[in-house]
Amino acid sequence: MMYRFLTHEELASLVAELVASGTRVIAPVRAKDDASQIDYLPIRKLEDAAFGVRLPRRSLKEFFLPPTEVLLYYKQTKDGVEIREVPTEAPPQVILGATSCDVAALEVVDKVMGWGYRDELWFGRREATTIVTLLCSMMDSTCFCTAVGLGPDSARASDLYLVPVEGGYLAQVLTPKGEALLEGRGAAASEALQASAEAARSEARKKVEVNLPTIPAEFSGWLSQNFDNPFWKTLALRCHGCGACAALCPTCHCFDMVDEHDSAESGARRRNWDSCQTSKFTVHSSGHNPRQSQSERFRQRMQHKFSIYPSRFGEILCTGCGRCSRICPGGMDLPEVLGKLLALAGNKPEGSAQ
Amino acid sequence: MKELQELARKLLNEGTVKVVIGYEEGPRGVRAAFITDPTQSEKLVFDKRCVQNLVAYLNPRRKHLIQLGKAAIVVKGCDARSVAGLIREKQIERGNVVVIAMRCGGVLENPANESELTCETVSVRCANCDVREPKLYDYILGVLPPEPPVNPARAEQIAALKLMTSAERWQFWTEQLSRCIRCHACREACPMCFCVQCTADKTQPQWIDPSSTPRANRAWQTMRTLHQAGRCVDCLECERACPEHIPLGLLARYVADAVEQRFAYKSCDDPSVPAPLGVYRTDDDEEFIR
Amino acid sequence: MNLYQPHLMRIREITDETADTRTLRLEFKDPGVAEQFQFSAGQFGEYSVFGEGESTFCIASPPTRRGYIECSFKATGKVTQALRRLAVGDTVGFRGPYGNSFPLDEMKGQSILFIAGGIGLAPVRCLIWNVLDLRDQFKDVTIVYGARSVNDLVYKRELEEWSQRSDIKLCLAVDPGGQTPDWKGLVALTPNAVQQSVTASENTFAVICGPPIMIKFTLPVLDKLGFPAERIYTTLENRMKCGLGKCGRCNIGSTYVCKDGPVFTAAEIKKMPQEF
Repeated sequence: MMYRFLTHEELASLVAELVASGTRVIAPVRAKDDASQIDYLPIRKLEDAAFGVRLPRRSLKEFFLPPTEVLLYYKQTKDGVEIREVPTEAPPQVILGATSCDVAALEVVDKVMGWGYRDELWFGRREATTIVTLLCSMMDSTCFCTAVGLGPDSARASDLYLVPVEGGYLAQVLTPKGEALLEGRGAAASEALQASAEAARSEARKKVEVNLPTIPAEFSGWLSQNFDNPFWKTLALRCHGCGACAALCPTCHCFDMVDEHDSAESGARRRNWDSCQTSKFTVHSSGHNPRQSQSERFRQRMQHKFSIYPSRFGEILCTGCGRCSRICPGGMDLPEVLGKLLALAGNKPEGSAQ
Repeated sequence: MKELQELARKLLNEGTVKVVIGYEEGPRGVRAAFITDPTQSEKLVFDKRCVQNLVAYLNPRRKHLIQLGKAAIVVKGCDARSVAGLIREKQIERGNVVVIAMRCGGVLENPANESELTCETVSVRCANCDVREPKLYDYILGVLPPEPPVNPARAEQIAALKLMTSAERWQFWTEQLSRCIRCHACREACPMCFCVQCTADKTQPQWIDPSSTPRANRAWQTMRTLHQAGRCVDCLECERACPEHIPLGLLARYVADAVEQRFAYKSCDDPSVPAPLGVYRTDDDEEFIR
Repeated sequence: MNLYQPHLMRIREITDETADTRTLRLEFKDPGVAEQFQFSAGQFGEYSVFGEGESTFCIASPPTRRGYIECSFKATGKVTQALRRLAVGDTVGFRGPYGNSFPLDEMKGQSILFIAGGIGLAPVRCLIWNVLDLRDQFKDVTIVYGARSVNDLVYKRELEEWSQRSDIKLCLAVDPGGQTPDWKGLVALTPNAVQQSVTASENTFAVICGPPIMIKFTLPVLDKLGFPAERIYTTLENRMKCGLGKCGRCNIGSTYVCKDGPVFTAAEIKKMPQEF
């Protein structure tokens, strides 16, 4: 039995219990400033959630890597400096009704966060969080999750995966955390219901597949071999280097580190979201900048996501959510850029300089 | 449309310019176009979906664009004010850009969702537009459409802000700006934010803390808005770029209104008219410091 | 405790190498850490001034000298300016050691040619002392070091010490115009100094560090002398923040300078995209 049938009431009571016990429950809700938009925000009861409306404006990233985060507090004393540590354990939270693209991104970023040195701040939050993914019905022509090896049917990084059906949800338990969350809720589901859930998942998948073909494994190597190809010079003319794409991207994780005073003697060392698209990202104190123009910086974005990260960690650093394209004030469109590059890669022999 | 396409083709064929910066159909609607090949001129469009102010692409520090060569740029009247601003502040020379002005009857606030201009769908910035027939141009195209409907939303918001006490306004903006993640997308998308080194990026001294905290966010946004006072053309590129959907245009408009009242100045498309905060006059009575 | 938390260090000694280059000798405040701390020549750390930020420098003292580490820097930005304002007894932070190191074991039994320019001597000096502290495990040691002028030579005390040793061939050079009347060394750009003083490349590793332009013109000299690119080592610098592979800033193509480097061979560098 792959799925259990969970009624709306059972889910509502689960949310109520979690909230009552002090566990933060985050779900897609109508945005306060624009009711036509959806944000991932804490809810008090299941009714507050707005499932199936549209992709939330921001990803889940901010719940695991906040836009600004204190790494330590320092205080100058007469003997030197005292450091006050920040906790690496996080309070329990549940994410309810997230999309596959947002959820899978967490596991993709796990790779770099665990590379050699373990980022306790990231993993503290990962460990404290139970994730309930909901089958996405909100795809549009800018989505391309299937092209990067995922899809709305993917339960990657999920503890529970829900398929909406009449009266409630069919719930697939993926992990012990997911099982623990349900606490025995959910009845056996009929064969017919099981089949309908599977069918719904593959139907959803088909809706996205039409947008962009699957990116072949060889693309990573082709990008790396074509680092100096002149097409980079004109691929991103409309890019402002504003970094809005990186801010909304569920897998972009680059950060800056700064010290800030709150008094003459004390302050905090923080890490803040940053983006390789900004002009100052790689500038040396001598003034030398290895990436002097936007075409080089855009090249870095594409190389990092579709070549470097795959070569180091076996994963594309992108889950196909399309937010970058939807926000871009200059009209950059990632599926379009990928389509162009894939066409170039497909038409020319491997390693061709033109 | 044909008029614009033919003009672009002619300019490129003759070598008058090497690139025409305009608008084209993209995968999700209209977006910026960079036409370098005259045979691609058919791509150029102009209609009420052409919201973007393209003048940021004339920033002389954008190496990857400068290398294309001399540009012609398609502007609405409001955008022409940005061109005038760049000329006024010596960022570009008048002779180095070909300005193709389009007569305009207003643009949509959300071109992706809407198709007809009504007082609800028209952009807030089109209210009381006085540059539908732009005055800064090398070529002026199109037929003057009727006046756009007026979207009252912005005026209502400004009026509401003015009714607030100082403390209420402070609270309002602190809340709005609490979402700011200091990505500076607003700055990068803005045609008039062209400083080689932004004050916010200076580290010696660190005038403004780079992290997203209430105080630093207020400092950053008010600084940027004040640096734009008298220079901002209300194009709303900052708001379109902001990944947190902060109403930056409202803040800018509020300050622009103050500039209007104080200095009887609206940003204009005549480069020879000096902006009040960018000029020193010996006869300035400076009554505010008495 | 998280991975971004530095060790606390006290400044034990300050040496001004030149008008703009300073060396700090640092001791761990925690004796337990001091006891256990180990690193290999070539590795780097993130040195911080609390309230100002962190800066990336190699560890300039050798791993064979225990109880302290040293760094040498020029005051070019916010953090290095702040470092310069500190005095003996002040506290700084240190995160490290990060990165890879020179292949000391591979180099044993062989000769080593050290080439450095200006402040580039700092990362090389770490390896030089490491080698000198194990002198009998290596064959010939040659050091060619050049700077713009006599004043710009760093570690002057050690240069003096090295020049007195019979088991080192030391060749100092200053750029034409940089000599003083009593200068006894060469007057030549460093690549030319290498050409004039080095004749052999068999069974020899080359370790080179300095301004990019110096490296650019010295590599062909080494090539002509017969050094294969796999036996020429250098250290790369790039803008860094976390120093441990997470912040996404220091990569050159798919190479992360903080994790795969900072020590690279000339052969590895040739394969990298020219983005540095």
